[in-house]
Amino acid sequence: MASEIDKSKPESSSIPKLLVLVLATGGLGVTAVMGVVAAFVITGWIGQPVPVLGFEQTFDQPINFPHTIHASLSPELGRIAADGTNLEGLGLDCTFCHRTVTTQANAGVPAVGFCATCHQVIGAADNPELTILRDAADIVGDNGPEPVNWRRVHRLPDHVRFVHEPHIRYLTQNPDVVNGTTSGVKEGPAGVCSTCHGDVAAMEQVEQVEPLKMGQCVDCHRDNGAPTDCVACHY
Amino acid sequence: MTTASFGSHNWGMVVDVDKCIGCQACVIACQAENNIPLNTQDRVERARTISWIRVERYWEGDFPDTKARFIPIMCQHCENAPCEPVCPVFATYHNAEGLNVQVYNRCVGTRYCANGCPYIVRFFNYWEPVWPESLRNHLNPDVTVRSRGIMEKCSFCVHRIRRATRTARSEGREIADGEIQTACTSACPTSALNFGNFNDPNSKVSKMREDQRHYTLLDQFGTDPNVIYLAKVDPDKKVSVGEAASHG
Repeated sequence: MASEIDKSKPESSSIPKLLVLVLATGGLGVTAVMGVVAAFVITGWIGQPVPVLGFEQTFDQPINFPHTIHASLSPELGRIAADGTNLEGLGLDCTFCHRTVTTQANAGVPAVGFCATCHQVIGAADNPELTILRDAADIVGDNGPEPVNWRRVHRLPDHVRFVHEPHIRYLTQNPDVVNGTTSGVKEGPAGVCSTCHGDVAAMEQVEQVEPLKMGQCVDCHRDNGAPTDCVACHY
Repeated sequence: MTTASFGSHNWGMVVDVDKCIGCQACVIACQAENNIPLNTQDRVERARTISWIRVERYWEGDFPDTKARFIPIMCQHCENAPCEPVCPVFATYHNAEGLNVQVYNRCVGTRYCANGCPYIVRFFNYWEPVWPESLRNHLNPDVTVRSRGIMEKCSFCVHRIRRATRTARSEGREIADGEIQTACTSACPTSALNFGNFNDPNSKVSKMREDQRHYTLLDQFGTDPNVIYLAKVDPDKKVSVGEAASHG
């Protein structure tokens, strides 16, 4: 009887040791995960969440469209053409493609046929991105264009009614306001748009740089004498 | 110079009950305009329907001289609204343009406001709104689809007010009288419903409410509504103005 107890003693004491080890590492792991989640929630509450685990403020688009080539005036784009020359930016105005931004609520994304107006001629024939575009535009076929499923980067909640038209009009009339903002670019075609969208002309892949939260909207509305009534935006 | 500046209007409605024929066109127009879920049979049976405007029917006179009378009732946008002070989260308030505003993203669904409203024009979303697949693309993109658990009510088609204000401002002019039509007023075949600015003494609604037939619903509560009714005049029956004002 006594020998049995002596036998079982070292065994019973070794199992709790293992348990303590497992519990300690497990607890540390859980604490670390909770810390990461808390950091994510807190940063997401204040501004933009930490860009991890698919919460990046940018997406891979179906066509890797470079705003740098189209909108920037800078010659230092880091893009080299097939013949070795350094490509300069076209410096297109934002409204060249986003045509409804000065008149309507949505900025609008150009139809694929609009892109093909230039790109059926311009650009290398074997460029993989342009091949996707030309296939979608169906330049040689008879099926008609198929829209490109662009992914939206700047998205506001459904209960917010943002209309571009009055904002563009006000900022165009008051360029000083643009200069005072965090991401405002003073010069170039994107001067007004950069107030909220940052320097898109310098982005290889469009990214949301401003939090675009209600606090930011209200601050700007208050500073510029715009209505801060709830139904100015929520209806 | 600021044109069509915010807060320079006092929106209101004048309802000429004499012209109302009870056709329910306003009800249909409102349901379609404001993304209101369908009032299916099971919701009617549970008395949980949502209709921002309704046409109440009542009978006048004894058989066989019975006459059907109609009165459209929507949110009265009271200047002294009983629904506003009871809201714990300020989801409903009176704005500078005379609108009783419901802010959907603030609402937490206590339903105090609906209990406070004597006109029974506030509605609670007991379920997520669903539409048949064929109506999916018919939703109005200018109006928020209200989710489960929040109150909703007539907004005086505030999205149309916003749109007209924007247009007027971009064109550098004031909003013209009659430029803004709510869904119900534009659908009304007899012009019984009229929408306009009470701050402008020359507007159609300002002139209409000077009519001696004018009264407001449930006047005794002192809610001071922005919806003015013009009483029914019965040619066969001598009804004094004071008597007509008593229905409601």
